[in-house]
Amino acid sequence: MKRFRALVVPVVALLLAATTASCGGSGGGGEAEESGGPVTLRFSWWGNAERAALMQQALDLFHTKNPSITITPSFQEFEAYWQKVATETAGGNAPDVMQTDFAYLREYADRHALYDLKKQEGKNLDLGDLIEGLKGAGEIKGGLYGVPVGGNTWGYVYNPALYAQAGVAEPKLGWTWDDYRAGSKQITEKTGISGSANPVGTYYNLELQLLQEGRSLYTDDGKLGFDKARLASFLADGKKMADDRSTLPVEKAVQIKPKHPLESDLVAGAGAWDNFLDRYSKSTKAELKIAPSPSDNPKALGQYIKPALLLSVSQKSEHPAAAAKLVSFMINDPEVGKIFGANRGLPPTNAQRASAQLTGPLAAVAAYEDGLKDQLIKTPPAPPKGAGALEQAFIRITEELLYDRTTVDQAADQFFTEADETLGS
Amino acid sequence: MATITPTRPADAVPAGAGPRKRARRSDDGITGYFFLSPWILGVLLLTLGPMATSLYLSFTDYDLFDTPRWIGLDNYARMFSDQRWLRSVGVTVLYVALAVPVKLAAALGVALLLNSKRKGQGLYRAAFYGPSLIGGSVSVAIVWKTMFSDDAAVDQVLRVFGIETGGWSGNPDFSLLMLVLLAAWQLGAPMVIFLAGLKQVPKELYEAAEVDGAGPWRRFASITLPMISPVIFFNLLMETIHSFQVFTSAYVVGGPNGQPAGTTLFYTVYLFDRGFGDYRMGYAAAMAWMLLLVVGLITALLFRSARGWVHYSGEKS
Repeated sequence: MKRFRALVVPVVALLLAATTASCGGSGGGGEAEESGGPVTLRFSWWGNAERAALMQQALDLFHTKNPSITITPSFQEFEAYWQKVATETAGGNAPDVMQTDFAYLREYADRHALYDLKKQEGKNLDLGDLIEGLKGAGEIKGGLYGVPVGGNTWGYVYNPALYAQAGVAEPKLGWTWDDYRAGSKQITEKTGISGSANPVGTYYNLELQLLQEGRSLYTDDGKLGFDKARLASFLADGKKMADDRSTLPVEKAVQIKPKHPLESDLVAGAGAWDNFLDRYSKSTKAELKIAPSPSDNPKALGQYIKPALLLSVSQKSEHPAAAAKLVSFMINDPEVGKIFGANRGLPPTNAQRASAQLTGPLAAVAAYEDGLKDQLIKTPPAPPKGAGALEQAFIRITEELLYDRTTVDQAADQFFTEADETLGS
Repeated sequence: MATITPTRPADAVPAGAGPRKRARRSDDGITGYFFLSPWILGVLLLTLGPMATSLYLSFTDYDLFDTPRWIGLDNYARMFSDQRWLRSVGVTVLYVALAVPVKLAAALGVALLLNSKRKGQGLYRAAFYGPSLIGGSVSVAIVWKTMFSDDAAVDQVLRVFGIETGGWSGNPDFSLLMLVLLAAWQLGAPMVIFLAGLKQVPKELYEAAEVDGAGPWRRFASITLPMISPVIFFNLLMETIHSFQVFTSAYVVGGPNGQPAGTTLFYTVYLFDRGFGDYRMGYAAAMAWMLLLVVGLITALLFRSARGWVHYSGEKS
């Protein structure tokens, strides 16, 4: 019994802490002050030790320029971060400024957990210099709930050496899904290394195809933007590639998680966010390159600039003006651009892009985005509440499909059942 | 013989608190309660309060953000049509059915080996006990997962014998077995208790049996097992309860989705994912209470069955 209690106690204690705290603190949100008195802000983000060191440099700089504002920072890994922020928010104890992800933004905004930064625009928050693709990102129903601190776009990261070895033409703008399938197959056959990571395991590959067809993952009112048949054909396609051995066997992909197959030299290419080129390059000796996604529609690439991370201010913050100042500093100050480089995706403003000294893979990413400028479409609205959980369900369901534990139709059914439950509430 | 006291810490307290001197009873009472207050506060604030709250939340639709909405028994009813819940029950029951006997048999076997007088026995005991001190940690689970990966230590050893598994951690047929082995490896705690039990068995019994011509197997089955049956019962109880709640190793090896293909989706892992991944705290609370109920029921059944096979010395049946 004692051991049982050892498990139950922390869980219920958390629950209690969450509920009791939520009864207590309905912060007054005093906007009246901000007359320049000393202010302390709590700032949470997710990341690793490397990012923490960069963040501290940036925050020190901010404090030098705004001596009256002190920042108390804290950070976690991505998953632990969302668990912590969720309990803190539920307890009415959210940090003043927090890093948010596009997939969770609406979840928090819809639940009135975030402050509408429109109220600070032009006063303490300057958004004028944001690059074209990021303007308006973070807006939900006319309010501004997150400001992007970096942007990235989808693409195809590949190892050119393996393409050359197999005698397959390297991907370039205009290549089709058939090119992709045939090329992947040929690379596996000729080199013994899987031609590609399986596209079916990644939610954004489905979104990419939908956008190329003029559809979208979610409709404006937060429902799925595709039907079961469309999902089934996407799943069947990925299953077929797996059966053909054109893509990496699922048991290999699963056991190296959270590493990406490109990092372990297990595949010749994979669809990925472009700023990941830097991370993958750091852990493999192979020289990696990035190309636009395949598309069957020459007029639609389906790619857009996604706000990689956003900064949001808590609805309960007592110092929204100071918080807005911090957000503004983080996106506009050229020094900050220099400090971070592309650690958080390419910098969001022209000034920071100019000051960030990008080299190696990061320079390649910048050149890649520059070259695609005219092809990119408008960023879709922030995904609906529950999208984060649904993406996890998608990953789980496709994995079971690749393990032959379900059929294509069962997998599609299951996804729609879970979507009903997740998006419906 | 081993007692069950450690499982019920509550018993220990009133024994020390009972005032003896009648004349100064009220004074003693206050002093007693004063000294007990950290414990009482702890129980009220950190155990009973949270438990009551979680019981209440299990009847609500609580998503961490909005106020809990009363939905009665919906959470409980919904479990039985929830495919993932059913799977997590299946995985957990299978795990308990495998891990408990394997771990207990291994612990008893090692205890028998370590029971004899040999040089360096203390070292061996420490070596076998060691893993159970660190076994529940995240780092060990990571090492375990790495060892069982494609082309890693275990795979290479098996290849010598011509067995090709392609790594256990990515193979749905092996993933649970890998966790059963991890549990068995942490046999230290039950092993020490078995050892204590074995020391209690009177030597005369063995001598008498030997005189009667009983071989080693017969001595083990007819003397050792019945004599240590209370210890077996205690270990069985603790390991069963413990195994139902396996979390850390499962979460590290399989993640919130119970990779590969949901074969390591343990009950507690699903509970955690429901609460902190999907923000369905009401459902997670209901799952926790369901687990409490079932483990309570199984414990009661084990106690009931114990009447038939556990023999306490000095007891006439």
